[in-house]
Amino acid sequence: MNWRAVNWRKLRTFLITAFVLLLIPATRFYQIDEPILRLFHNPRRVDPFSLHVEGEFVENNLGTEQNSDGSVTVRMIGQQYLFIPHCILVPAGVPIHLRITSPDAVHSLAFLGTNYSVKVTPGIISLAEMQFSQPGEYKTACREFCGAGHYDMRSVMKVVPREQFPALHDGDRGTCGAQ
Amino acid sequence: MTETGGRVARNRRIWSGSPPRLLGTMLLALAATALLLHAGDTAGDHVPSYVEWTPDTIANASSGDEFRGLLLSRHCAHCHGEEGFSAKGDTPNLAGMARLAIWKQLLDFRAGKRISFPMNPIAQSLSNKDVADLVAYYSKLPVFYDPDDKRAFPQPAPDPVQKGMAWRLINFGDGERGIPPCQACHGPLAFRPGAPALLTQNGPYLLQQLEDFATGKRANDINEPMRTIAQLLTDAERRALADYYGAGLGLNPGTGPEPRQ
Ligand code: HEC
Ligand code: HEC
Ligand SMILES: [Cu+2]
Repeated sequence: MNWRAVNWRKLRTFLITAFVLLLIPATRFYQIDEPILRLFHNPRRVDPFSLHVEGEFVENNLGTEQNSDGSVTVRMIGQQYLFIPHCILVPAGVPIHLRITSPDAVHSLAFLGTNYSVKVTPGIISLAEMQFSQPGEYKTACREFCGAGHYDMRSVMKVVPREQFPALHDGDRGTCGAQ
Repeated sequence: MTETGGRVARNRRIWSGSPPRLLGTMLLALAATALLLHAGDTAGDHVPSYVEWTPDTIANASSGDEFRGLLLSRHCAHCHGEEGFSAKGDTPNLAGMARLAIWKQLLDFRAGKRISFPMNPIAQSLSNKDVADLVAYYSKLPVFYDPDDKRAFPQPAPDPVQKGMAWRLINFGDGERGIPPCQACHGPLAFRPGAPALLTQNGPYLLQQLEDFATGKRANDINEPMRTIAQLLTDAERRALADYYGAGLGLNPGTGPEPRQ
C-alpha cells in the first residue's frame, strides 16, 4: 500500500459524512437522542408564545399518551379561561404523569374531591404524579384567580376501568371529546 | 514539488498530529445531528396559525400607515363596505375590529391556515406592509353605537327567551359546563390578543363561524379556545348568540332582560 498516494482530504470528508449519516439512525436506535437533545435545552422550560407552533404542546400531542411500561402521560394547556383538552380520558389504577403549562397567566389545576392540585405557570412545564384507584368522573377547577372568566374555568377528567381504556397506538392521544 | 509535499504533510497532521481538531469537527457534526433530530420531531404537527403574540408581533401589527391603508381599502370596499360595514350578512364587518384580530386573520388567510374562497387569493396578494397599513386603517374606523342604525344592524332583535339565553352566556358563561363568558375575551369587559370584537358583527357570519369552529372546519384559533367553546354550545345557543350580536344588542348594556348588576 502506497500511503503517499492516499488523498487524505477526500478520505476525511468521506469518513465524516459517513459518520454523520450513521449518527442519525444510531442515536434513535440506542435511544440516546433524548439525552442528547437535553444537552441543548432545559426540558422544563418552554416558550409560552409558541406552544401551538412547535414542541411538546402542539395540538396533536395534547391528551393521554400510552407509555410502554403501562403508565400514561397526560399533556394539557391551562389558559385564560379553559383547560385544553376540555375532557381527559385516563385508565384507573395506573400511574399518570401530568405535564401542563400555560400561554398567558398563572393558573392552578385542582381535581375536586382529591388532594391533587398543580400550579400552572407560563414558561414552565409543571409536573405531577397521580393515580386514580376508582373509575369515575372527576371535575377540575382553576384555583388561582386568573381574570374575568376564572370562575367558569373548569374541565373534566374521566377515569375508566383499565380494560375499557382504548388501545392507543403510536402517535394516538386519548381524550373523551367528540370524536 | 515542495508545495505538494507540504500539503500532504499538513493533511496528515489532521489525523496524526492534532486530534483536538478532529474532535472539534465531530462535535460539530453531533450538534448538526441534534438540530436535525429536533427539526424532525415537529414535522407532522397540526399548527393552527403561525402568529405568536410576542411583543415583536404586536409592534409589527401596530406599525401601519393609515393613509396608505385607506388607498388599499378600495379593493375591499365592494365586499366589506365603504365604512367597514358590509351589505351582506355573511361577509364580516371590519369596522370596530381590533387591530391584532385583523392582522392575525389576514396572515392566516395568506398562509392558508383559514380557508375562504375570496379571502385566500386576496390575502396572498398583500405584502407585510400592506397588511399593517390595512390594519391601521380598518381598526380606526368609527363604530355606529346606535343599535337602531340599520346600516350597521339590519337584523331584528331575537325573542326574549333567546335574548336571555345569549345574555347569560355573554355575561356569565356556564360554569357547570366550563364555558367562560364571551365578554371575558371578546370585550367590552376584556380583550384577549387577537379576539375579534363581536359587538359590531353580522349575525349570519357569526353563526357560520361558530358552526365551523364546532365541526373543526375553521381551526385557526391558537390553543383551541373557540373550537372547544363552540363544541360545548348547543345549536340553539349558537343561534341565540349570533342573533343577539347581529341585532347590535351587545353594544348597549341596558338591553339585557335582567336588571343591570
Ligand atoms: C369578494 C369579496 C371580498 C373582498 C374583495 C374582500 N373580502 Fe375580506 N372577507 C370576505 C368574506 C366572504 C369573508 C368571510 C370569510 C369566511 O367566511 O371565513 C372575509 C373575511 C375577512 C376578514 C376576517 C374577518 C373576521 O371577522 O374574522 C378580514 C380581516 C378581511 N376579510 C379583510 C379584507 C381586506 C383587508 C380586504 C381588501 C384587501 C378584503 N377583505 C377583501 C370577502 C371579501
Ligand atoms: C378564552 C377566550 C374566548 C372566549 C371565552 C370566547 N372566545 Fe370567541 N374567540 C376567541 C379568540 C382568541 C378568537 C379568534 C380566533 C382566531 O384567532 O382565529 C375568537 C373568535 C370568535 C369568533 C370568530 C369571529 C370572527 O370575526 O372571525 C366567534 C364568532 C366567536 N369567537 C364567538 C364567541 C362566542 C359566542 C363566545 C361565548 C360563548 C366566545 N366566542 C367566547 C376567544 C374566546
Ligand atoms: Cu385560571
